[in-house]
Amino acid sequence: MTRPALELRGIVKTYGATRAVDDVDLDVVAGEIHALCGENGAGKSTLAQIAAGKLAATSGEIARAGTIGLVRQHFELAGRLRVWENVVLGREPQRGARLDARAARARVSDLATRTGLHVDPDALVESLPIGLAQRVEILRELDSGPSVLVLDEPTAVLAPSEAEALFATLRALSRAGTAILVITHKLSDVLAHADRVTVLRVGRVTLRADAARTTTETIARAMVGGDLPMLPARAAVTVRKRLVARAIGTIDGRLRDATFAIGAGEIVGVAGVDGNGQSELVDVLAGMRAHTGALALDGDELAPGDPRTRIACGIRTIAGDRQRDGLVMAWSVTENAALGDQSRTEMRRGPLVDRAARERRARAIVAEFDVRTPSIATPVAALSGGNQQKIVVGRALGFAPRVIVAYAPTRGIDIGAAALVHARLIEARNDGVGIVLVSFDLDELFTLADRLVVLCGGTIVHACAREDFDRPRIGAFMAGLSS
Amino acid sequence: MSAIGRGRARTNIIAAVALVAIASIAMLVAGTSPIVGFAALARGSVGGTHQVAETLVQTTALLFPALAVAFAFRAGFFNIGAEGQLVIGGLAAGVVGTIVPGPGPIAIVAMLAAGALGGAGWGTIAGGLRARFGGSEVVATLMLNVIAALLANWAVVGPLRAIGAESGETPSLALDRTLPVIVEGTRLTIAFPIALALAAALWFFLARTVAGFALRAAGDAPFAAARAGIDLPRMAVFAFAISGAIAGLGGATIVAGVLHRFNVALSPGYGFIAIAVALVGDLDPPYIVLAAVGFGILQSGSLAMQSLAHVPKDAVTLVEGLAIVALAARRTIARLTA
Ligand SMILES: Nc1ncnc2c1ncn2[C@@H]1O[C@H](COP(=O)(O)OP(=O)(O)OP(=O)(O)O)[C@@H](O)[C@H]1O
Ligand SMILES: [Mg+2]
Repeated sequence: MTRPALELRGIVKTYGATRAVDDVDLDVVAGEIHALCGENGAGKSTLAQIAAGKLAATSGEIARAGTIGLVRQHFELAGRLRVWENVVLGREPQRGARLDARAARARVSDLATRTGLHVDPDALVESLPIGLAQRVEILRELDSGPSVLVLDEPTAVLAPSEAEALFATLRALSRAGTAILVITHKLSDVLAHADRVTVLRVGRVTLRADAARTTTETIARAMVGGDLPMLPARAAVTVRKRLVARAIGTIDGRLRDATFAIGAGEIVGVAGVDGNGQSELVDVLAGMRAHTGALALDGDELAPGDPRTRIACGIRTIAGDRQRDGLVMAWSVTENAALGDQSRTEMRRGPLVDRAARERRARAIVAEFDVRTPSIATPVAALSGGNQQKIVVGRALGFAPRVIVAYAPTRGIDIGAAALVHARLIEARNDGVGIVLVSFDLDELFTLADRLVVLCGGTIVHACAREDFDRPRIGAFMAGLSS
Repeated sequence: MSAIGRGRARTNIIAAVALVAIASIAMLVAGTSPIVGFAALARGSVGGTHQVAETLVQTTALLFPALAVAFAFRAGFFNIGAEGQLVIGGLAAGVVGTIVPGPGPIAIVAMLAAGALGGAGWGTIAGGLRARFGGSEVVATLMLNVIAALLANWAVVGPLRAIGAESGETPSLALDRTLPVIVEGTRLTIAFPIALALAAALWFFLARTVAGFALRAAGDAPFAAARAGIDLPRMAVFAFAISGAIAGLGGATIVAGVLHRFNVALSPGYGFIAIAVALVGDLDPPYIVLAAVGFGILQSGSLAMQSLAHVPKDAVTLVEGLAIVALAARRTIARLTA
């Protein structure tokens, strides 16, 4: 075997008393796809950033052969620029001293077509839903053609078909000699697409294996250091209509004529490729957007609302982009735990904040959701992505909500944490909450949903009950092949 | 706007040391010994009761608009318009002080209220524009500064002649309509403790009230705040109204406490220096008080530097400018020393 393209020796990274990465050795050789797994907060992103030279290690040695590209977990894109501009930024093709916009656009469309990561090159990045932004982030790194490519949870918000296409692209790149390190929480992807796998647990390597000679159970046990929590049983609930949507749509037509009902004690899954009206649907229900058609909650017509009134009547959302739409990153766990509930009488004393109530609430979320944080005074920016997400989910489930609108609630969180979120969602369902679950993960939908609707091109193209879930059929509707 | 981090004490100290060093070099270049220069600065600003009082008069004049700027900033808005809000507040106070009948204390309260209301009104224009059209509040407040100055000029040569205005100012206030002096023989009035109380009130508002929580959310993470049910357009109007009221109150205290009349030249740019004061004070009221004292020392000591040490006025302006640069460099300093 040749010398590894990326060689990490004895890497340590400490944040105060936290040892985020604790003496890790890792090799990635040209031509391989190497998977890196681990729980939330295991140190994967930290290690990836150190490998890519974006973060200085406290100690240890790094050797790289050639250039390295990093697809970040929380992307850094210029929102005010167009897709193609973001992709070529820093590597703009030039004609004389000027940017050759035409060549750049062509290069980006070509790359998008070749890799199956379709996205409109002229769209403004800030207008894109998170799944499309993820594609842009990946395209940007692919465009630079690095010899080592590190991808931090690139498939978390991609639809299964897109994830397949991405892995096919990665395989082609690796055959052409690129060394690839990919962080993922999807163990089935590890077995299907990786050559080797390394598992981290609290900063240390707990497993190194050939993907062909291991199992998801082995990897999962190495990740969590034990067995996974079990899902609670789905209680049989008498389904009373909770939220009824009649022909709702948005003015821009990205969501059209959606009619559906969600029962109290029912999880309705929304399947579809990202960008087919999901974020519009969530925004309409959350009161973030004007809409046509009518909504009724427990039989009462809902006025075209704003988020405040929706929260007040018990409709809570779990936003897709937790760092932008769900949290104030510079704030503590405690303050974030109160966000959205700030006006609730339980959380204030007249016009003043009730600091004791807030801290109790934060502690409750931390305990119930096993949030790994040094303290409730820690800024959420210092928590790993999965732990941030647990706060967002925990907050939405407090104060007896009537409806939960969840947009990819287990995006980027490890199997242990995802199992916990799933368990809490099923408990909420059993307690009579109506849940709208938008997800890009069919496994998740099949596990949780009582019924499914498929969104394609902004309309509901298919609806079916749990007994009739059929993967190929739903996949065909998602891809717009059936109608 | 959340990027304006509330930094750590150590980097502030390093920035202050760097500032003193650069100021020394500037003085050397200007042909003065830094020791003589700083000695003159100290003598002119804290060298005696009178000097200390005068420093605190300057501190007070800066503190109101600095708190105003910080308040808007914490809500996510860059209010460059404190200067204009201060002028309008001063004008309103000058007019009310001249025409309102009744005993002195009532007139004083009426003047301060008029100043706050005037400033609030002026600020609300900018906030309303921002809320309604989403335009840049920077441009709006900048334009409103110019308009405020023109309006004040026009008022004192035009309609206010009817109440006796001439040569750019309203008539002198009767002595019982001026703010009570707290240090005999100086110009230091109750405006100073009022400003301190206001700083404390703002700190309390931001840290402990639900409305303050919402305001900080809007400033630190507008998208998340909107989803948390915080009405951003309303917040813009509210933040600008309060910000304007604070600056306008400051203008009123200058009229009622220092000049005893409204004069078109009432502010030598307090509303602009206040931006630096607010930023150096980390947008946090207790630290803004400290920053205002620092800038007050510079303001009142600069005359002594000019007359005793022959440091040109421009050098003082330079130091103020450098303070902003040092502030901007703080994050770099923090990173280099981490
Ligand atoms: N800037 C920081 N300051 C302090 N602690 C940090 C910082 N960044 C990360 N950490 C801590 O380091 C540990 C590793 O975090 P990291 O983001 O690498 O985890 P991860 O494995 O990528 O998790 P996830 O799957 O949730 O993305 C966590 O305990 C986290 O709280
Ligand atoms: Mg991570």
